[in-house]
Amino acid sequence: MNRFFEIFFVIWSWLSALCLVGAVAAILGFLCVKGFPALNVELIFGNTEPLSALLLQKQVFDGLFPAIVGTLCLVVLSVLLAVPLGVAAGIYMAEYAVGYVKTCCDFLFDILAGIPSIVIGLFGFTLAVFLHKNFSDQVYPCFLISSISLAFLVLPYIVRSTQISLEEIDPAIRNTALALGASRLQNIIHVLLPRALGGICSGVILAIGRCAEDTAVIMLTGAVAIAGIPRSILGQYEALPFYIFYISSQYADQAELMRGYGASLILIMLCTLLFLVAFLVRKRIAYQAFYKA
Amino acid sequence: MFELIKIKTENLSFSYNGNRILDNVSLEFREKTITAIVGPSGIGKSTFLLTLNRLWETVPQSSMSGRVKIRFDGKMQDIYGNGMSLTGLRRKVGMVFQAPNPLPMSIFKNIAFPLKLAGIKDRRTIDENVERALQQAGLWMEVKDRLNDSGLHLSGGQQQRLCIARALVLQPEVLLLDEPTSSLDDASAAVIEELLVNLKDNCTLIVVSHYFDQVKRIADTVFQFPYNGISQQ
Ligand SMILES: Nc1ncnc2c1ncn2[C@@H]1O[C@H](COP(=O)(O)OP(=O)(O)O)[C@@H](O)[C@H]1O
Ligand SMILES: [Mg+2]
Repeated sequence: MNRFFEIFFVIWSWLSALCLVGAVAAILGFLCVKGFPALNVELIFGNTEPLSALLLQKQVFDGLFPAIVGTLCLVVLSVLLAVPLGVAAGIYMAEYAVGYVKTCCDFLFDILAGIPSIVIGLFGFTLAVFLHKNFSDQVYPCFLISSISLAFLVLPYIVRSTQISLEEIDPAIRNTALALGASRLQNIIHVLLPRALGGICSGVILAIGRCAEDTAVIMLTGAVAIAGIPRSILGQYEALPFYIFYISSQYADQAELMRGYGASLILIMLCTLLFLVAFLVRKRIAYQAFYKA
Repeated sequence: MFELIKIKTENLSFSYNGNRILDNVSLEFREKTITAIVGPSGIGKSTFLLTLNRLWETVPQSSMSGRVKIRFDGKMQDIYGNGMSLTGLRRKVGMVFQAPNPLPMSIFKNIAFPLKLAGIKDRRTIDENVERALQQAGLWMEVKDRLNDSGLHLSGGQQQRLCIARALVLQPEVLLLDEPTSSLDDASAAVIEELLVNLKDNCTLIVVSHYFDQVKRIADTVFQFPYNGISQQ
């Protein structure tokens, strides 16, 4: 009986893993098969000369270039907004918060993590309307509002990953620097944060993926079908996920749908690129933190 | 022979989560001697050491009563008193843990770390102090040609001496050692014992140990825990 169960369990685990890998492979394969034929210079740059488009000399009207740049900028700004805030909040939660305050904050961050992105989008939209009415009628849903909303969306990932990786550190390591006369802040900066970097980085990678992929938030806060390269943080912009949503919901012919697949493939490649950058940055920072300085 | 008292505890009691670990411990430690604390494990020896540099304060739900006084600048001072700086105290009362705990950085950086924490930036001072500490810990000859190698690549015994050197680099007046040789082989342990005896000239040492013969060889005073008011000299 027991032996059977063990064999059954091993097979079950195997099958589960296989299912997962299979599903990922199927999705990627499907996208590649559908998307690769559509993937060409024209898809990205339309009729514009690629070089002059890259140098921002000429506008691209019928290509994905503005959407790619839009998504890239969006991810970078949102993560830049979320990381300092999230890491600081995570440090506070792990190292300073105690008792009642900690329980309360824990609860609030859980709630924030559970808010659906469409609600966050609505929050961003409301914020834009509020600012428009009360401060300046120049403010509309725009790139900046989108970034702020996305930053809110991913804040819990960064807070939690920072908090957990700090809390996991062995008490013996915690005491090492303190016993040598480090202040609490010195201990955090010189010993604990470098240790926690791996975990924090995983949180940032999750955040990057979420920012690049989310459609609900940007739909309500400033993404449009045609806007060109984002020129100002107060302007509207194009983004890949919005393009994919838009094209697949109202394509006129097969060729347009294929462009949607192409865009999906580009989005995935963009994410991969951003993950790689995050990994490299992490290695670099870890090295700096411990061996240099 | 007349010797000053360096450390004095008065009615020291300690508990974790309401479990009393130390009960009314009043002890005196003479300056520039080695005092050994022996006793079965789990009896509160490590905890006692933590009350001498206030490192227990990071443990949640722990509490202490009584007094600890240490002679600094010729005066007995309450280390839990208002005027006492926590970081200043820990610079004067060094500690070495049971398991060697070098940081993941080079040998040189490990030793220089406390200097960096103390805000010392002068390159000459740092170099001199690092070399002196390594000499004192008997490690200089072994590592002087590879100061930039990672501290984690040393052997266990060398790592522990690295940690001793690191604790010595700020020239502490008191050095607390919590079973410093228990994770090492006999040969490495013997090296460290000898080294501790040599440190007596500069420092007041308190060594927690569960090896009675080790204690007999190096200690001037032995306190047996659980402490019951009797001590062997
Ligand atoms: N951080 C802690 N939290 C709660 N209990 C602890 C903690 N550290 C030690 N104890 C308990 O206190 C007692 C004394 O521990 P310790 O001082 O480490 O003993 P020793 O060093 O003599 O072996 C043990 O029963 C141990 O379980
Ligand atoms: Mg112990």
